[in-house]
Amino acid sequence: MSEERNEEEIRVGVFVCHCGSNIGGVIDCKKLAEEVRNFPDVAYTEDNLYTCSENGLAAIKKAVEEHKLNRVVVASCTPRTHEPLFRECISEAGLNPYLFNFVNIRDQCTWVHMKHPEEAYDKAKDLIKMGAAKAVKLEPLDMIMVNINPAALVIGGGVAGMSAALSLSRQGFKTYIVEKEDKLGGRLNSLHKLFPYDIEATEFVGKIINNVKNAQNLEVITSSRVINIEGFIGNYEVEIDQNGNIRKLEVGAIIVAVGSSLLNPQGLFGYDGIKRITQYELEPKLKNKDLKAKEVVMIQCAGSRNDERPYCSSVCCMTALKNALTIKELNPDIHVTILFRDLYTPGTSYEEYYRKAREQGVLFVKYDEDRMPNVEENQVKVFNEYIGDEMIIAYDLLVLSTPLVANSDNKDLAQLLKVPLEANGFFLEAHVKLRPNDFATDGVYIGGSAKWPVDITETISQGYAAASRASTILSHETIEVEGATSILPEYNKSLCTGCEVCIKVCPYNAIKKNENDEIEIIQALCKGCGLCAATCTNKALVIRHFTDDQILSEIYAYGGE
Amino acid sequence: MEKVSKSALVIGGGIAGIQAALDLADMGIHVDMVEKKPCIGGRMAQLDKTFPTNDCSICILAPKLSECYRHPNITLYSYSEVQKVEGSAGNFSAEILKRARYIKEEECINCGLCVEKCPMRVEDEFDRELRKRRAIYIYYLQGVPAIMTIDKEKCLWFTKNACRICEKTCEREAIDFEQEDQIIKLENIGSIIVATGYSLIEDIDKDVLKNYGYGKFRNVVSALEFERLECASGPQGGHIKRFSDGKTPKKIAFLQCIGSRSDRVEKYCSSICCMYTTKEAMIAYEHDNELESYVFYIDMRAGGKGFQSFLRRGAAEYNIKYIKSKIAQITVDEKENPIIIYEDLDNDKITQLKVDLVVLATCIVPPQGIDNLAEILGIELNDYNFIKTTPFIPVETSKNGVFTCGCVHEPMDIPRSVAEASGAAAKAAEIIRGG
Amino acid sequence: MRMEENRVSFEPKLLGFLCNWCSYAGADLAGVSRIQYPPNMRVIRVMCSGRVDPEFVIQALELGIDGVYVMGCHIGDCHYLDGNYEAIRKFDMTKKFLSFVGLDNRIRLDWVSASEGVRFGEVVSKFVEDIKALGPSPLSGDTPDQELLEKVKAIREAVSSNRMRALVGRQRKITEEENVYGEKVPEEEFDVLMDQAIKEEYDRHRILLALEKDSKSVKDLGIELNLDPSIVLEHTLTLKSRSQVDFQKIIGNTPIFMRI
Ligand SMILES: Cc1cc2nc3c(=O)[nH]c(=O)nc-3n(C[C@H](O)[C@H](O)[C@H](O)COP(=O)(O)OP(=O)(O)OC[C@H]3O[C@@H](n4cnc5c(N)ncnc54)[C@H](O)[C@@H]3O)c2cc1C
Ligand SMILES: Cc1cc2nc3c(=O)[nH]c(=O)nc-3n(C[C@H](O)[C@H](O)[C@H](O)COP(=O)(O)OP(=O)(O)OC[C@H]3O[C@@H](n4cnc5c(N)ncnc54)[C@H](O)[C@@H]3O)c2cc1C
Ligand code: SF4
Ligand code: SF4
Ligand code: FES
Repeated sequence: MSEERNEEEIRVGVFVCHCGSNIGGVIDCKKLAEEVRNFPDVAYTEDNLYTCSENGLAAIKKAVEEHKLNRVVVASCTPRTHEPLFRECISEAGLNPYLFNFVNIRDQCTWVHMKHPEEAYDKAKDLIKMGAAKAVKLEPLDMIMVNINPAALVIGGGVAGMSAALSLSRQGFKTYIVEKEDKLGGRLNSLHKLFPYDIEATEFVGKIINNVKNAQNLEVITSSRVINIEGFIGNYEVEIDQNGNIRKLEVGAIIVAVGSSLLNPQGLFGYDGIKRITQYELEPKLKNKDLKAKEVVMIQCAGSRNDERPYCSSVCCMTALKNALTIKELNPDIHVTILFRDLYTPGTSYEEYYRKAREQGVLFVKYDEDRMPNVEENQVKVFNEYIGDEMIIAYDLLVLSTPLVANSDNKDLAQLLKVPLEANGFFLEAHVKLRPNDFATDGVYIGGSAKWPVDITETISQGYAAASRASTILSHETIEVEGATSILPEYNKSLCTGCEVCIKVCPYNAIKKNENDEIEIIQALCKGCGLCAATCTNKALVIRHFTDDQILSEIYAYGGE
Repeated sequence: MEKVSKSALVIGGGIAGIQAALDLADMGIHVDMVEKKPCIGGRMAQLDKTFPTNDCSICILAPKLSECYRHPNITLYSYSEVQKVEGSAGNFSAEILKRARYIKEEECINCGLCVEKCPMRVEDEFDRELRKRRAIYIYYLQGVPAIMTIDKEKCLWFTKNACRICEKTCEREAIDFEQEDQIIKLENIGSIIVATGYSLIEDIDKDVLKNYGYGKFRNVVSALEFERLECASGPQGGHIKRFSDGKTPKKIAFLQCIGSRSDRVEKYCSSICCMYTTKEAMIAYEHDNELESYVFYIDMRAGGKGFQSFLRRGAAEYNIKYIKSKIAQITVDEKENPIIIYEDLDNDKITQLKVDLVVLATCIVPPQGIDNLAEILGIELNDYNFIKTTPFIPVETSKNGVFTCGCVHEPMDIPRSVAEASGAAAKAAEIIRGG
Repeated sequence: MRMEENRVSFEPKLLGFLCNWCSYAGADLAGVSRIQYPPNMRVIRVMCSGRVDPEFVIQALELGIDGVYVMGCHIGDCHYLDGNYEAIRKFDMTKKFLSFVGLDNRIRLDWVSASEGVRFGEVVSKFVEDIKALGPSPLSGDTPDQELLEKVKAIREAVSSNRMRALVGRQRKITEEENVYGEKVPEEEFDVLMDQAIKEEYDRHRILLALEKDSKSVKDLGIELNLDPSIVLEHTLTLKSRSQVDFQKIIGNTPIFMRI
């Protein structure tokens, strides 16, 4: 393409905007427009009162035609607001939209140097010179089209996965759930009641499982695992191992909903599984109403919020309150004491639940990380932070509120999908705040407790969220992605040494080695940051629209060759 | 997929509404978005940084704002309100009141010449009345749409029949005093998403904060005011100063659960204050490494991703002391330094602490006007006047086809608001696609 | 000299590389807020600070620009997740190279967010002020310091060399992530490696440039470049193994090297 360019005569048109008096009131735009006509390859210039107005846009179109312009530079406000408008304008005039360049002489010039009009004039002139020099080097780019297979794979069949799959199938997309166990439901299958609504867990999850079974477009593949994933957004090929049978699925998007695991409680506060158990082990006892204890003590943050596991598992306080309330319901005479550090009951209904537990006579004792409760055979010694003294509490059942932890096999799945994990082994989303259910790699999404311990309410909304994110892709037969991406041009192929530095530096996993062992940029994934081009050891990669050549031409235009 | 003919209506242009609208629009569904204020962005635009990574709020928000404004599938009605909704899931119709801003939207280029000339100074709502704006104004500097609005209540032309100086100044002839409110009728709406966010207790009832000296002592501010003070584009340019004497505070007390978890005011927990307080203290410390911060709290609630490590860092690196306590009273000395009298639960003693500034983590309450909106939409509210949702399905309201997300149904942080917004979009899409 | 007399009236010629998402937005906000700052800097917009190739910075200095500013989003805020970490790596290397020729204080890396309009004005003013205090770049004007120019050219080629780029490109992964054997190279250890490479490549590229003009013996190279002949010999042999130089002829016992 660089050869092609040399044949065509470059004719740059420069349009200098007065922006009323915003620019025109500080510098002489007319003179400027005349003066910049002398810059290399500039074929036409004019000044406009408002280049962005209908008149201004018409003037650009007219000039493109009359003066056979093939590059357009507008010197005015800022590309951050107005670049799309001018790109559209020149595209209406028959030019490729990428043959446009913006020069900011208002926000970063006349507005900030109002008291130095001469210097502002010189600066504007330099900026236009640089902008025109870059324009000369600009190349037409096409938006890249990627075909999308309107089907989705959900890995994990807990509430998160089922919610995601249900929503996608209802939206009309063929959806598969791959579940490693022989049935759907995940953690909820083995719980008793559910906070904060006191609904039976099996009843609740049973309904969802039923919906899944009755859904159209939705196929559940149990007792199976994903063993291989190839492809990229819109076009994945996935291999599933179902009890030794290998099956291939083709999907456009993948949702990770593999949930979380339970901490092994061995060694915590004398855990023995009989008299000293976990909340998880308490639930079936409550369900079967076979609780013989009279004095129950629960210890919160057992194995969490310490140096080893510095996080709050966020569901354990509510689980303890739930089970304490269930005990009180079974028999109000049973004493229940909860030893806690900070009680985590945020929001409206959870705080209400906490109040209810207190009203029902559940006793709360605050302890500190520095003075951990001391569990003896039949009693717990604990330093009560509220009273400022040691307390001895007898127990015949000790219940540990242990945290949810990341699945130990997350690593394998992460490797297959090329997505990251955070320090505790949970999946790491693209952006903690604004992309909570995306991965940095487009086409792969995440929801539920696989990302972080969350309750059912949040799990479900995240399941739906992941479905929504996937749907933004699956809804289209093809998607268009930015043309200003990175490439390894044909004429640079011999430069590439295959060192793979680019693969490592790309934040979006957009670069891979293909079947022929050549570096290939997956255009659909590239976001155009240019890190790869700036890093490529042999300068083989080219980041379009911000090429070395283009940027250097700006530098030369300013510095003088 | 074939083109869908039904559209979605999103009410509220905070981060939750924006995310919901963007997801739907990216699915190829047309969205009408209605925002009451002159610009979208909601509370997030008012924040300086955001926990737990402390990214600059407007930096990460701004690209979303312009994406939303420019999206071919989104029509934005700013400075507007929903007046009437009829029909049922899959086929709603609505009436939007688009208030006159007395500016020709296509003409205004946000150059600000008019603002410079406008003689009328008005309390700036966006900056929590910590500075003045003019009667012609842009809601906030980075606001979208980036156009002016004339504050009819304050403009000299509307109040005294004088001035019209902006009209003479504007080179674009963008000022239009003849403009009138418009009623816009929308048909064929498949689903509705309500994301009108929250208000703060001081917005609806300043009296309950009197006990904490708010409104009484100049050196007692609310947390959102403090965000504005910390912000580089806020009223003090990011240099935190006391209002009594302009001095930089060296000791700040942050008081938690102001109006929340209380028998007298609101019983619920506002969920986010523990975290944003640590954030605010961290940022204040970054401005001034001599700063000492004291956080007075009941329980530290930090269950979100990375939140515990955030608090640990706060204590270890930012000179923040956490005091489990009950606040008894706040007074001031003769130099207007606030004095906090509290019961320290670690040693059970009544103690006093003199500080330079007090920041109150005030309670998050349902947004003003929620009753009216709920009535228009025919949806139920819960005991606290937040929108009532289906058990375990936080995006579903009591009415089929009407969904919700963000703080309007429960106080929550940005990540959760964004996740719910996408969740609500998925549910809305199910109906629109006839599922 | 020129520098002395110009110092007072001297208006530095500065170049800034601003990332699109934060710093460029911050610069725009300075405009919207009508913050006034000195008009010395011209801006090149890049999508991310990590796009700024060290070559750009050196090239600008070589052309006589008095100072180069690279600005990006604050750490953690990069629109592309961690491009600004890459910017740090590249910048640090560039600065180390420039310290050989005393130009390291003419470049600066900083973070400016989209809300820091005022700060943008402040940091630019400060840069202008600091460069004013330094005086004009010895490479500016009609008669740039030729010897220095040669050295800066060598630096430009060195930063563009395969070895330096590979090292910088791998730095984050090597120091922050475990390699396949589960080991991580400590930052300090890497720094030592890096410093050594910087020194070597600087000298090697000076040798290459010197040989570009005409072929020379190790001894002459040593004198011309003010380097110890044994080091020159070592470098020349390395360059020979990289096929960048070769024996041209041998005069007496002395080999004469030429550039390939
Ligand atoms: C003791 C206890 C009590 C609780 N009580 C409540 C309560 O009352 N109310 C409440 O709101 N929350 C409660 N929770 C939290 C609740 O369990 C979680 O919010 C919920 O289970 C999260 O759902 P999920 O789909 O993310 O994960 P999970 O329920 O863990 O489901 C994940 C699914 O993925 C499958 N899977 C895992 N790895 C793979 C793989 N590689 N390939 C394929 N499939 C895989 C698993 O087999 C499982 O079916 C409680 C938790 C515990 C531990
Ligand atoms: C002091 C403080 C600091 C905070 N710091 C953080 C932080 O660091 N990190 C974090 O994650 N969260 C933080 N938060 C929480 C954060 O502000 C919220 O999570 C987030 O703003 C919720 O977004 P939203 O869209 O639900 O609501 P909002 O931001 O309130 O947006 C609601 C929008 O709806 C509009 N609206 C209201 N009523 C109507 C109506 N009737 N019709 C049309 N439009 C209407 C409003 O004008 C507004 O634009 C903080 C909160 C406070 C108070
Ligand atoms: S430009 Fe950025 S996103 Fe694109 S391939 Fe290069 S490093 Fe990856
Ligand atoms: S109304 Fe006129 S003067 Fe005011 S900002 Fe808009 S264009 Fe400028
Ligand atoms: S985008 Fe600003 S530094 Fe990367």
